[in-house]
Amino acid sequence: MLEFAHLKTDPSRAASTLGNSGGQPPEFPAGLRVLLVDDDATCLKILAKMLRKCLYDVTTCSQAAVALSILRQKKGWFDLVLSDVYMPDMDGFKLLEHIGLEMDLPVIMMSSDDHKDVVMKGITHGACDYIIKPVRMESLRNIWQHVVRKKRNELKELENSGSLEESDRRKAADEGDNASSASVGNGKSEKRQRGEGKDEDEEDVLDEHEDHSHTKKPRVVWSADLHQKFLTAVNQLGVDKAVPKKILEMMNVHGLTRENVASHLQKYRLYLRRVSTPQNQGFFDAHYTSSHEATYNSVGSNDGFNLHGLSVSSQHPPQSLAPIHSEQRIATSTGMGILAVDQLGFINSRIQVTGASNIISSSLQQMNNKPMSNLRGCSKNIELGQLGQSHQVAQPYGGINLQFGEGTSNFLTLPSSAPTSFSLPGGTISGQLSKSLSMHMTEHSHEEQFSMFQQSTLDITLPGQPQPRGQLLDEVASHNSRLASTLTEPAPPDDIANCIWGRLGTDANMLTSLPAKYMDAPYNRFPRSLYVGGQDGVVNRSAGGSCFDSFISTCNLKGTNNHVSDEHQSRSRNWKLQKVNLPYQSGQEVGLEQSTIDGHSSLMGHQGATNISAGTVTEEILLMKNKIDNERGSSSQHQRTNLVENSIRVNYEVSSDISYQNLHDELMKVVQGQKQDGFGRADADFNIQV
Amino acid sequence: MKKSLFDQGYLDEQFYQLEELQDEVSPNFVEEVVTLFFRDSTRLVTNIDQALEKRPQDFRKLDACMHQLKVSASSIGAAKMKNECTSFKEFCGKESLEGCIRSFQKLKKEHSTLRTKLENYFQLLRQVGPVEKAVRSGK
Repeated sequence: MLEFAHLKTDPSRAASTLGNSGGQPPEFPAGLRVLLVDDDATCLKILAKMLRKCLYDVTTCSQAAVALSILRQKKGWFDLVLSDVYMPDMDGFKLLEHIGLEMDLPVIMMSSDDHKDVVMKGITHGACDYIIKPVRMESLRNIWQHVVRKKRNELKELENSGSLEESDRRKAADEGDNASSASVGNGKSEKRQRGEGKDEDEEDVLDEHEDHSHTKKPRVVWSADLHQKFLTAVNQLGVDKAVPKKILEMMNVHGLTRENVASHLQKYRLYLRRVSTPQNQGFFDAHYTSSHEATYNSVGSNDGFNLHGLSVSSQHPPQSLAPIHSEQRIATSTGMGILAVDQLGFINSRIQVTGASNIISSSLQQMNNKPMSNLRGCSKNIELGQLGQSHQVAQPYGGINLQFGEGTSNFLTLPSSAPTSFSLPGGTISGQLSKSLSMHMTEHSHEEQFSMFQQSTLDITLPGQPQPRGQLLDEVASHNSRLASTLTEPAPPDDIANCIWGRLGTDANMLTSLPAKYMDAPYNRFPRSLYVGGQDGVVNRSAGGSCFDSFISTCNLKGTNNHVSDEHQSRSRNWKLQKVNLPYQSGQEVGLEQSTIDGHSSLMGHQGATNISAGTVTEEILLMKNKIDNERGSSSQHQRTNLVENSIRVNYEVSSDISYQNLHDELMKVVQGQKQDGFGRADADFNIQV
Repeated sequence: MKKSLFDQGYLDEQFYQLEELQDEVSPNFVEEVVTLFFRDSTRLVTNIDQALEKRPQDFRKLDACMHQLKVSASSIGAAKMKNECTSFKEFCGKESLEGCIRSFQKLKKEHSTLRTKLENYFQLLRQVGPVEKAVRSGK
């Protein structure tokens, strides 16, 4: 397991990972993959050289944010992180926490500051070791021990835990007693990972178990196809009448158990319920803003989290969302962010009150702790289904993030919970879109999906809209099926639903299975929840804007084009099919929609992705726009849906050779329109960053 | 010449570490690092200069800037510079602007002195270089 695999299997490395003395060169720890983070160029050069002299494989970066994104993109690749304490863009301790939560890698801090309290701070934040600068070669020669130790601890933990909780406690106790800095650091960081998720021990346990098959049977991944089947079955049976047994029979999927279906159905139902109850949003919102602080803090530097990929936007107050949209995030996080949002949404809707923030944080933690895996999202979703417990909710959230986070920092910024306002239509939509996208993506291909998401997912930085978030979370719940299920909710679908639907459709032909009524449902609700407090002022305009930006950025793909292309290709077909399904009727906004679509297309084209991928992005954008339109407050939901549909349809037809500028213009128009309608979204938010 | 640099306290043991890192893969490692250091440190010195002129004085910021310079200096073994950095930081801690300014003047002097000396040193090395290599390979 774990990262030692590359050391073990790599022929250039020794067989033993435990500090062997074997005679085959190069022996462990040669080839140890170290990420070196230091803002001082001189130090960086010297340290890199020293590490290479130790025969380590060194990757350097001078910014913490970049380091995080590298770590996220190459999850599981690095063995160890060496980081300076004092860095201009991010505190080394914050970085340390992030890494501990997200990747669970051993981190060694360095500084010329040798004051005891600083060293203590490093240890308490989870550092495996603290090296005083100037660094000597000897100090670096032995850093591999931390890697070994950590792995051993993890292994032990896995093996021991029938209940992770227990092992966590045990481990924490063990590690805590240890005087050596290394082991304390190890234990503490592990403890932190688990401890922070202590609230969500259940999730942890589940997650852990799910991750390691030797403790549990493999969890079911609710892929887009699978969810599609599920939806088909449910729709045929009627949502209210659908029973797991019958659904299972209709789905006719080998290996799927009634229990799998039952839990999935439960989640779906919850999602539908959530989607159809706007009041939840407000509820969540209040709760969120109040409680998230506490919860997140437990996670450790929430801000850091959010900013750097935890993308739990719910955590941040609207103002803080803006920073989330920072460049770094955009660049690195994509799908995850959205997923997180979705999950949160899901969670929010379910919990509605207190648990939300806890859940989210726990999920975040969950996510962070677990290595990425597509399934993770799925399993997490299942957790969500059992909402009612904050822990669970959090977990899925976390899971989703993890899932999607692969390679992409968590963008997920939960939309603020202003029910009626969407400061950031784009953001909201993107969240959903990304969610669905990511969900789909994940199902289809882990890496690709993620990258896809990354590209197209908007950083949904909806400021604390609990509701939307919940919805988003729900959708994101890493299950395409979940999303689909949400979409198929007969209750008036919110924009989000539509958005997701659109997305789902593209990915997994889900749309086809969506009942028309789904679309017809007024989706005002959703968008409201989704959109970050535009009207209610909950959502920051800037937040929204930034969401949008991130969305656009994501769409534009910062470098994940190829992934998107792959995804799109498989999806495009689906898309086309699905788009048509959307029961959107042309409304007054059709014109706008159309233009939006064009914009989308251009966006696509601009990206240089394949048509298909462009279409995906476009769709998302359309959805967003639709949402935005919906948010305008038009009472004719149907109209909107129509618009969306139309736009979506148009989208498909449009090839991706429209200029990016068009898209941008279109979006700006929408924004402008929104503004006029009183949404007050910042136009500037629509600056698409390609 | 190197010995004199060490004797006079301009360089310390860390410099030896740098030299040990030099190998066939990076034959001019030390010089590269030193060049890099002076490039960055000159910039830092300028920043601190500007910061010192600000009123009211932000000692925390000054301290942070100086910390950066200190880390750099210590990593190449610039002992005298490092000591001046330490004393500067102490003055920052005491919020003594005058002390900071005085210390900083000394620091700048050390900085340029070291640069000159090291430049000479490397020039010497280059002249002697081929001979050294021959000697080494002969061993």
